[in-house]
Amino acid sequence: MAVRVQFENNNEVGVFSKLTNTYCLVAIGGSENFYSVFEAELAETIPVIHASVGGCRIIGRMTVGNKNGLLVPSSTTDTELQHIRNSLPENVKLQRVEERLSALGNVIACNDYVALVHPDLDKDTEEILADTLNVEVFRQTIAGNVLVGSYTALSNRGGLVHPKTNIQDQDELSSLLQVPLVAGTVNRGSDVVAAGMVVNDWCAFCGLDTTSTEISVIESVFKLNDAKPTAITSTMRASLIDSMS
Amino acid sequence: MALKPEAVKTKIVKVYEIDEFQKLLKGVHVAACMITESHNVIDEQSVLRRLNALTLNGASDGNCCSCCGVGPFETRAQQTAHYKHHWHTFNLKRKLFGKSPLSIGQYNSRKVDESSSESEEEVEDSKRPPSDLFAAATRHCKAFFTNHYGQVFCIYRCILHHKKEELSTDGDGSAWVERVEQLLIPGYQRWAVLMVSGGRFAGAVFSGGTIVLHKTFHSYVTRRGQGQAQATRDAHHGHARSAGASLRRYNQAQFLEHIQDIISQWTEDFKGCSLILYRAVGSLNQAAIFGKNSPIKKDDPRLRVLPFPTRKPTFKEVQRVHSTLASLEVYDSLELFQKALITSTAKPANKATLDLGNENIKKTAKKSPSKTIDRAKSRERTPRELPTQLMSSEDEGPCFIDSETPVGWIKTLSEQKTSGIIINSKKVVLNDCAIQDRSTPSPCESEKEDLKQEVKEKYETDRRKKIKDPAVLNKPSQKIPNPIKKMWKMIIGNELKSLETIFEGWEEENLAEACNTRDPSDGNTALHKAAIAAKPDMVTEILTAGGDPCIRNNQLQTPYAASPHQETRLAFRMFQAQFPDKYNYAKSHIPGPVTPETLEQEKERKLQQKRAKRQRDKEKQLEKIKTNKFLQMTDTEKAKSSEKRCFLCGSNLPKKPFEYEVYRFCAVQCLQNHRNIRPLNMSA
Repeated sequence: MAVRVQFENNNEVGVFSKLTNTYCLVAIGGSENFYSVFEAELAETIPVIHASVGGCRIIGRMTVGNKNGLLVPSSTTDTELQHIRNSLPENVKLQRVEERLSALGNVIACNDYVALVHPDLDKDTEEILADTLNVEVFRQTIAGNVLVGSYTALSNRGGLVHPKTNIQDQDELSSLLQVPLVAGTVNRGSDVVAAGMVVNDWCAFCGLDTTSTEISVIESVFKLNDAKPTAITSTMRASLIDSMS
Repeated sequence: MALKPEAVKTKIVKVYEIDEFQKLLKGVHVAACMITESHNVIDEQSVLRRLNALTLNGASDGNCCSCCGVGPFETRAQQTAHYKHHWHTFNLKRKLFGKSPLSIGQYNSRKVDESSSESEEEVEDSKRPPSDLFAAATRHCKAFFTNHYGQVFCIYRCILHHKKEELSTDGDGSAWVERVEQLLIPGYQRWAVLMVSGGRFAGAVFSGGTIVLHKTFHSYVTRRGQGQAQATRDAHHGHARSAGASLRRYNQAQFLEHIQDIISQWTEDFKGCSLILYRAVGSLNQAAIFGKNSPIKKDDPRLRVLPFPTRKPTFKEVQRVHSTLASLEVYDSLELFQKALITSTAKPANKATLDLGNENIKKTAKKSPSKTIDRAKSRERTPRELPTQLMSSEDEGPCFIDSETPVGWIKTLSEQKTSGIIINSKKVVLNDCAIQDRSTPSPCESEKEDLKQEVKEKYETDRRKKIKDPAVLNKPSQKIPNPIKKMWKMIIGNELKSLETIFEGWEEENLAEACNTRDPSDGNTALHKAAIAAKPDMVTEILTAGGDPCIRNNQLQTPYAASPHQETRLAFRMFQAQFPDKYNYAKSHIPGPVTPETLEQEKERKLQQKRAKRQRDKEKQLEKIKTNKFLQMTDTEKAKSSEKRCFLCGSNLPKKPFEYEVYRFCAVQCLQNHRNIRPLNMSA
């Protein structure tokens, strides 16, 4: 199910939040409305963490993560790191990386198994990425853009890429990523799809401007209509929490 | 810029020249360079179709890499291996820069031979993708259209749309065409132009090409000489309290009020305007236009900032701005337009080599960098002809070598030049040549040769003169006359008597000449020989006979310096004392005149010094014996003795000696040493 949401009158919700299958980060300082939308959708299944990175609220563009881990840029302060560490589930690895391309969210797009990265990304970062997030890393471009993280929204079930990606490239990419891909837009024609939306395996949030056509494309490519959180994150989680308390 | 503006012919058509404009707009459409590829129109159906196709065929549909031209891959491992290969990344980057991908073989050879690939890259740079033209066009502050006749014309974007409103460049660009055609509608050409800056205001309302109303005025608000408006100055450096400052502050307030007055008076006129073009930089100037109660709101869609730099606001400038904005540049063909566009964009050298295929442009673009001077490198030496203008022997001013001038001259000249001859001598040679030439009015070939020879000889002698002392006459010494040889022999053989007889036999002039004749082997004169042979009597004899003591031999030594013998040297000095005016001794290295009296005095002084030294030596000896005697005494004897000496070293004690017990010492060191030795003495 795709939900429309706005962050302080701004439609670029992908900039101010980060959604994965095991946790969700939202920027601090937003209106309560923004959080309540996320919490209403997710709070029963995964933790919704209020965080900042290096004093910035653009956490969605600065960080990259999946169910296995989270990478934050070197600008992250120790207290922020500690806070995120404390809030994240136990089995999620947290790692700070020294990377010249510090907006990790813009240069890396990933799901739980594969990651597309900027062609100029540092070798060390690539290694850390593969180890921490437990993914296979491919250097790629999307429709002639090096910012693969900005122009790709990816989940384990599907992906939305830059509207000018040609069919041939879409086919190749989907073959590489092993998920179906479509070229599309969010927020009434915005081509920075990752900035306009966040998505995991069972739910998506997109900007308030997103048209119903765009919503329906998103729901069909990410297969959100019939989607439910996996057992381990819903039913089992409740029992786990019971046993822990 | 590679091309001069006049290289591209343009016609200017004003928007308000309705007939011309209408003609221009026949069959108008947006130029191709303005249009982008259209977005894929995506709806749910197409997505579902794609998804179905994907699920039916599996994910193996695009099982190849179009970027590198590889595939289909047989296994997943092969595929991932390819995408992780450096070659793929490399090709990705090439694709980003619009270059064709390299095959694996090319890539590997490129890795091996980096240098050769450099040139390859250059070649490829020349064929840039057409997207560059798009970038140049979209960056431009003008919009481009083509019409029915194939003409291309451009118009300022600010006339067509607001900065914040982006007209779609997709499809056929119909939105643009609509805006241009709108300009023909009556009333759409009523524009207002407002300019405020530096205490000057200029405003006008135009209807087509005519001015409806206008107003300009100026007040004193900026600090003359210093620059800066008074208000800005106050904000940064505090409130100055000079008369000028307060005057300017007052003027500024008045200025704002005045402008607001004018604008509010013009409210009705503004209402009819389709555009309000303004220039107001800074908050002060903005406040003047958009201040409180102003009829112009900041978010008015008709407001446009002037898209080019302007001069200070005057009525003339407002008119110029209006006519510039209203003018359409019309290029007769697409090629002309492309030429102009490329020269006007930021990077002319790169842009010129675009996809145009125009040879002229390429040529000019390639030439232009070579024209710039690389100051890091030394300039190439261009072979230049010899100057033909020479100074004549007479003081007539310059004389020119004409057709009659013998070839030999010029040849000699060039020879001199190449062999690096002293410049001064050139003049002499030329003068000689000139004289020679006059005497031989029609020189034939052999004469020319002779002339050349002569010139050379003359030059040679000149050079020799230069090397030798110029004060001395000297002849080429190929042949030494016998009497001189005899004389030299006598000098070496110490035959003073026979030398005197020889001298008497010669006449005075010959005598001096003979004395100064140099031995060709070592350059020694008679005087040198006498000096080296250590014959003081002969030296005096030769000096009196006229031997110059200043002549140097081949080792550049004067006779005095060449002499190793004390007495001989003395002879020189004594001669100088005797005849102080006979020669110029300054160059002879002789240290100074000596008379027999001074010589005597000197001897006496030396003798005294010797005596004194002997005396001192004697005293030292005595002292040494005394100290030895003292040291040989026992300590008790030392203490008793009347002599006051150091117990350890035996030297005389100072007034207050260093002492312990009965022992006395000259220094602390002696005392310490004594104490160190003493226990041993005690034990012994």
